[in-house]
Amino acid sequence: MAAKPSTTTTAKATYSPIDPTRKTRPPIFSGSDVDWLRPDSRGFHQCRPAFFRTGAVNSASGSAYAEFGNTKVIVSVFGPRESKKAMMYSNIGRLNCNVSHTTFATPIRGQGSDHKDFSSMLHKALEGAIILETFPKTTVDVFALVLESGGSIRFLVKQVDELDTLWFAVGDLPVVISCASVALADAGIMMYDLVASVSVSCLGKNLLIDPVLEEESYQDGSLMIACMPSRYEVTQLTVTGEWSTPHFNEAMQLCLDASAKLGKIMRSCLKEAASDEQE
Amino acid sequence: MEVDRADGRNPNQLRPLACSCSILHRAHGSASWSQGDTKVLAAVYGPKAGTKKNENPEKASIEVIWKPRTGQIGKPEKEYEMILKRTLQSICILTINPNTTTSVIIQVVHDDGALLPCAINAACAALVDAGIPMKHLAVAICCCLAESGYCILDPTKLEEQKMKAFAYLVFPNSILSVLPEGSSLVQGEPMEHGIITSVTHGAMSVDDYFHCLERGRAASAKLSDFLRRSLQSKLPADLSKAG
Amino acid sequence: MGLPNASEDLSSEMEVDAFRRLFPLRYFERHLAESIRPDARPLSRARDTTISMGAVASADGSALAKIGSTTMLAAIKMEVMTPSLESPDEGCVSIDFHMPPICSPLVRPGRPAEAAPVVAKQLSDTISRHELSLVGGKAAWMVYLDIYCLDADGALFDAALLSAVAAFSNLQIPTVSLDDGKIVMLPEEQKEENSEKEPVNKEKRKLTLGGIPFSLTCILHKNYILADPTSEEESIMETLVTVVLDSSNQLVSLYKPGGAVLAYTSAVQDCIALTRQRVKELHQILEEAISGMEID
Repeated sequence: MAAKPSTTTTAKATYSPIDPTRKTRPPIFSGSDVDWLRPDSRGFHQCRPAFFRTGAVNSASGSAYAEFGNTKVIVSVFGPRESKKAMMYSNIGRLNCNVSHTTFATPIRGQGSDHKDFSSMLHKALEGAIILETFPKTTVDVFALVLESGGSIRFLVKQVDELDTLWFAVGDLPVVISCASVALADAGIMMYDLVASVSVSCLGKNLLIDPVLEEESYQDGSLMIACMPSRYEVTQLTVTGEWSTPHFNEAMQLCLDASAKLGKIMRSCLKEAASDEQE
Repeated sequence: MEVDRADGRNPNQLRPLACSCSILHRAHGSASWSQGDTKVLAAVYGPKAGTKKNENPEKASIEVIWKPRTGQIGKPEKEYEMILKRTLQSICILTINPNTTTSVIIQVVHDDGALLPCAINAACAALVDAGIPMKHLAVAICCCLAESGYCILDPTKLEEQKMKAFAYLVFPNSILSVLPEGSSLVQGEPMEHGIITSVTHGAMSVDDYFHCLERGRAASAKLSDFLRRSLQSKLPADLSKAG
Repeated sequence: MGLPNASEDLSSEMEVDAFRRLFPLRYFERHLAESIRPDARPLSRARDTTISMGAVASADGSALAKIGSTTMLAAIKMEVMTPSLESPDEGCVSIDFHMPPICSPLVRPGRPAEAAPVVAKQLSDTISRHELSLVGGKAAWMVYLDIYCLDADGALFDAALLSAVAAFSNLQIPTVSLDDGKIVMLPEEQKEENSEKEPVNKEKRKLTLGGIPFSLTCILHKNYILADPTSEEESIMETLVTVVLDSSNQLVSLYKPGGAVLAYTSAVQDCIALTRQRVKELHQILEEAISGMEID
């Protein structure tokens, strides 16, 4: 046991044993099939059950844990604290965001690396809601860790090879954004309003709200909105793929309605935490 | 249950020691230390102004850079760096030069077992050579435990691989004191019996560990004599008398 | 530390919180003198510990361990590899310990924490690899154990080891069969009736750990021994001793990386005795977590 050879086998190629019976892509969507049930047996316009809890990480100034179906996210907020020494003087505060995934977030073991696109999108979604003037010269750090990505496991296993971008499809980002704004509120950072974020996928004629990863892999277009429900203002709008104008309008409205509801859930979570504290 | 050692040593016998100081011209202090075929070079630069982020600026900080013989550093080397840093921090007087950083660079020349203890001894000699203020010296020793519960000191690489467990132990050296005998006892034990650092690999019984500890302490006295002699020899005669 | 007298005088007229921040060492020593710690624990008591099994759905085995507010999430994924020629019947365990920036204000993204590789190395020294062969010389399991620190509040190694051990006892090795020289997973529904493809590993669905290692970290400060320190205690009193014992009371590791306080025989013995007690506690907690899983 003593003097073990140091990590000689780590570079060896390994593979996950894959179920061979599922080589073909099952028809997830056919023509104008409206009665088709979603993989997690939701309706087309039904969101996954959302759950928030604040104070998940004690060593942070504020934190939140969010669970939307299989998607599990932790966000910690640190600060306001001293900006990096190299930073120039700034009379408004800085926001610094980082999103990373665990190696077991996806069914096939990933790299667990930081995700730059996600980080900058999170930054843009939150920036508009935070009153940066309240913490001049300092930085607020928002760090997110995606513990598990949403999506049905069996389908994903064989698809990651074909669509490697899929690993970090928009899928988790709305959850991360919503969770981050709850964490910011928990940290006592001044905001105009909470930011609730919802995405919609367009599959042929149908609109699927709050899609999971496997649905996103079939989508023709996607739309993600981050908004402040009580002010009815949008902080971020991301649209990809093919959309017709009436479709787009419908999707927008769908998202805004859903975020209003999501905002209520987030608000009630914060209220609960606050009333627990008082007792 | 004698264990025959390939080089004909008895279980408590150390390999031939060699230490030479001030071997590098550019470094503020340097030393090479070898135990048999294991040889390590240590260089000390500093104290330089400023500390890194996350270090306490009210104290001097010590930074350790481990250079393996070949290739890049991995997890084991990172661990060695950390152990060495903590060990050196505990023997240096950090309050004399606050907000400074002292770099210790360890270059492995040849690894033939007991590498970390060898590096600690080398670093210690190099710090003295650089004139960094220290509370006392540290001597490091490796004890190996065979399957049969037999204990040998200062193993070679081959011996290390055959053993079921080993312990790296670091002790303070014995202090030459003018105070009466016994004044430096702590909890009924002389100061040099206290463990600065202990790192073990492999499972052993608790009694075996204490057995190793005893053997290590006995051997550390020899090591510490050697260290003292080799450091004194480089001082000018008048200085060593005064000291 | 530089002004012990000044703090003595100030302590009576200063607010507790201010005193704690300005003179942390004196603040702690005052508590220690009364044999109590600021979080109301006696010196030798560890914090409340919980384990929940199967926390990660996408992993083959997982567990969430909490010691006080230190939280560790461990997940195991099994992959297949070709074993090396020297050891055709051995699998491999790869252990990674991650400290994502969410866990502590000291960790920044892009810069891995200093402690991370050290804990990973210690863990891989503590956990042994057994019975990971599938087809001699052709295929063996590669076990990826990833441990994420979700909240860092001291005694990181203890929590990491506990979560790792719990994840291993939660591990369900997937049933696989040999297909064209490649190992494939047997789909769930075919497990019972399918006869053409014989599972390679019908029996071995569980991994048995030899002796289960448990650990306890203690702080040595003057003559005091504080079990299971928080991160605040770790930052103020720097001498740490980690003892790892396995369930048969063998000493797996005694780890003391430097520190201002020297460990004498009696202190080492005390630390080992405390660890013995703690091992019993942890063993029971683990058993309860496992039996709780079976009822579900």
